[in-house]
Amino acid sequence: MFGRKSKSDHPRPDENFEPYEEFSGIPMPVYWIAIALAAWGAFMLYDTGKDVTLAQDERVEERAVQISADQGEGGNLFVANCSTCHQPDGEGLRGAVPPLAGSEVLAAGPEIVARILLRGIDGPIRVGGDDFDGHMPSFASALNDDEISRIASYVTLTFGETDAKLDPKRVADLRHEVGDAGSFAGGAELATIVTSMPPQPPHPAPTAADAMTATVQDLVFAGRDDVWACASCHGDLGQGGENTPRLAGQPAKYLTKQLNDFRDGTRDNESMQIVAAGLSDAETAALGAYFATLRATSNASPNLSADLARGERLALQGDWSLGVPACFTCHGSSGFGVAPDFPALAAQHAPYTASQLAAWAGGGRQNSPLGLMSQISQALSSQDRRAVADYLASLPPVPAGRTASAQEGTSNAE
Amino acid sequence: MPNDPKSRESDSSGGKHTARNIIFAAGGGLALVALGSLVVELGLAPAWLTGEPVQKTAMAQKPRDDLFHPPDTASIPDDEFGAAVQRGMAIFTNTGTNASDHVGNGLSCSNCHLDSGRQPLSAPMWAAWVAYPKYRGKNKQINTMEDRVMGCFTYSMNAQGSPSGGPPPHGDDIYRDLESYFYWLATGAPTNEKLDGSGFGKVEKPEQGYDLARGEAVFAEDCVVCHGPDGQGQKDLNGRYVFPPLWGADSYNWGAGMARIDTAAAFVKHNMPLSQPGKLTDQQAWDVAAFLDSHERPKDPRQKGSVEETRKAHHDGDETFYGKTVDGRLIGVGMQASAAAKAPEED
Repeated sequence: MFGRKSKSDHPRPDENFEPYEEFSGIPMPVYWIAIALAAWGAFMLYDTGKDVTLAQDERVEERAVQISADQGEGGNLFVANCSTCHQPDGEGLRGAVPPLAGSEVLAAGPEIVARILLRGIDGPIRVGGDDFDGHMPSFASALNDDEISRIASYVTLTFGETDAKLDPKRVADLRHEVGDAGSFAGGAELATIVTSMPPQPPHPAPTAADAMTATVQDLVFAGRDDVWACASCHGDLGQGGENTPRLAGQPAKYLTKQLNDFRDGTRDNESMQIVAAGLSDAETAALGAYFATLRATSNASPNLSADLARGERLALQGDWSLGVPACFTCHGSSGFGVAPDFPALAAQHAPYTASQLAAWAGGGRQNSPLGLMSQISQALSSQDRRAVADYLASLPPVPAGRTASAQEGTSNAE
Repeated sequence: MPNDPKSRESDSSGGKHTARNIIFAAGGGLALVALGSLVVELGLAPAWLTGEPVQKTAMAQKPRDDLFHPPDTASIPDDEFGAAVQRGMAIFTNTGTNASDHVGNGLSCSNCHLDSGRQPLSAPMWAAWVAYPKYRGKNKQINTMEDRVMGCFTYSMNAQGSPSGGPPPHGDDIYRDLESYFYWLATGAPTNEKLDGSGFGKVEKPEQGYDLARGEAVFAEDCVVCHGPDGQGQKDLNGRYVFPPLWGADSYNWGAGMARIDTAAAFVKHNMPLSQPGKLTDQQAWDVAAFLDSHERPKDPRQKGSVEETRKAHHDGDETFYGKTVDGRLIGVGMQASAAAKAPEED
């Protein structure tokens, strides 16, 4: 109203007109919109900033509350963390995952179970007369002392019929004691502390030493001209961080293909294209083989403050109404990956996973076989992409982590 | 923010208009903010404004609203019946472990009945449940659901190679649990009606028939990445099948429906590659189905005498390589179930 009136006044100055007073040439609605936009912008800035700073804390709190509310019982923890592989009834998977029910290991009590949960197993193991190629992740990064004590007590009570309870404080001691021992070198190492175990198959010598040629060592730790040292961004153990992907334990051929794709421009990334341009075919193959043998504990965390339950659903079941099958249908039942074309997803950094999904969706990345990832990413909303990235970051890495550096990583093999 | 106009107020040497202008401008601006946030909160804002559009994959692009929707797994009741449904679902998705005594290969029900038996045109179990009992030409009798599932174990799961050497006997708990799961999936579905989306659909045989060389090319292009260059599927680190084997000792036997080219072509056309159904033409689907069903697999458990006798008795008129000779090799002699085909090792 006022705006219109002043406009109609415009050609005829009123009596109090002073020469220094200018007429408002801008209609009032323009002010409204400008002020509305300014207020909105300020709010968004405030809101985003608050999200970034508080999200992590909130997540930790929420998780704590959730755990105490509905996951407090060892049984629920077991179902959530163990049953994908060992099955809800503890029978394991024929030819793939050892049974817990009747396992000789459980007779040794919950403390052994806690040690295995903290360290994981990486090597052949004989349980109940059957041999398994054991690859169990370390849950040290995924579970706290209380959770580990509950699972260990539950497992030994349910499947080992030993009703000893394990104190969370004892788990804290164990966590300290285990330190950076890395995963158990198969049943052979486990048998040295579990006397009830039958004779175990021999543990093959780790291959990290073979893969670590002089060329690889130079490239990884020193770099060469435009080829920056891999470790300078991806870490000494290929563990990565935030937007830099975790490489440790990825299929060798997958890593080599990515390096070759950077080099010939099939995959887009400014830094990696410069690096890969200086590498020969033999070197990309050697680097792939090297990082595939590395073992690193998880340093990823679900830090995108997305919906973890939704992410879990997408990973385990998919959303077929969007035409999206479960991630694990192709990437393996626990996100372990399937060599050579399907990378491991477990313990990958959430910002990296989310950014790659966004790149698939937007066409910035197009090097997946059959264009599978492009279609699937386009079907996911940005919330879904962040949700699944967060969930995957919360998983334990496979193969199990070994925190001692790769060169000296053979020291704990018996 | 109202700060800016207010500071302008102090600059202007006291025009009433300016003061009122500022108040009106600020008021109007705040009203716009309030209105805008209300629209967004109520979800009235168009999608292009609030977020990017989502493009469903081909697997979802068919109009789905006319199809039956099974209930969400979260709604499985928390009682004795619900426990049976859960057990049935576990058997369905992890058959080799949860019905291990009767599985003689590396497959699970859910390898062909996708999305745990929920996906239309991959023989969804909600559609099967309301179609039984029915007469089947395969065994020339009325089949109950239990009879039908027994057939699945006998042929698709190659029970002859399992530890027990046969399918679960009639009355076994495995049938109770599986049927509980199917019954629950069909919650609200009309009985004795052929529902849209049932079976694998039908893909007419193309004019050019089918050709193994063309099929091999399709296989190399669209199937190898998951099922492996030798069709033997792929396993994860622990040796667990992630992608099922399509032929060989660890796959379905010669008595399975999927060993018929027309059935396999319909499944492939409507479901493969996973998340990209419909990518292959009818011709390509038939060619690749013929290619994978021309490979040797465990023998037909009904075979008593020669392959030719079995062909006459059980495969006459079928679209199958059973009993034919390819490159001088008689197809259908079968292969022994073994600890079976190993997944390609990473090197």
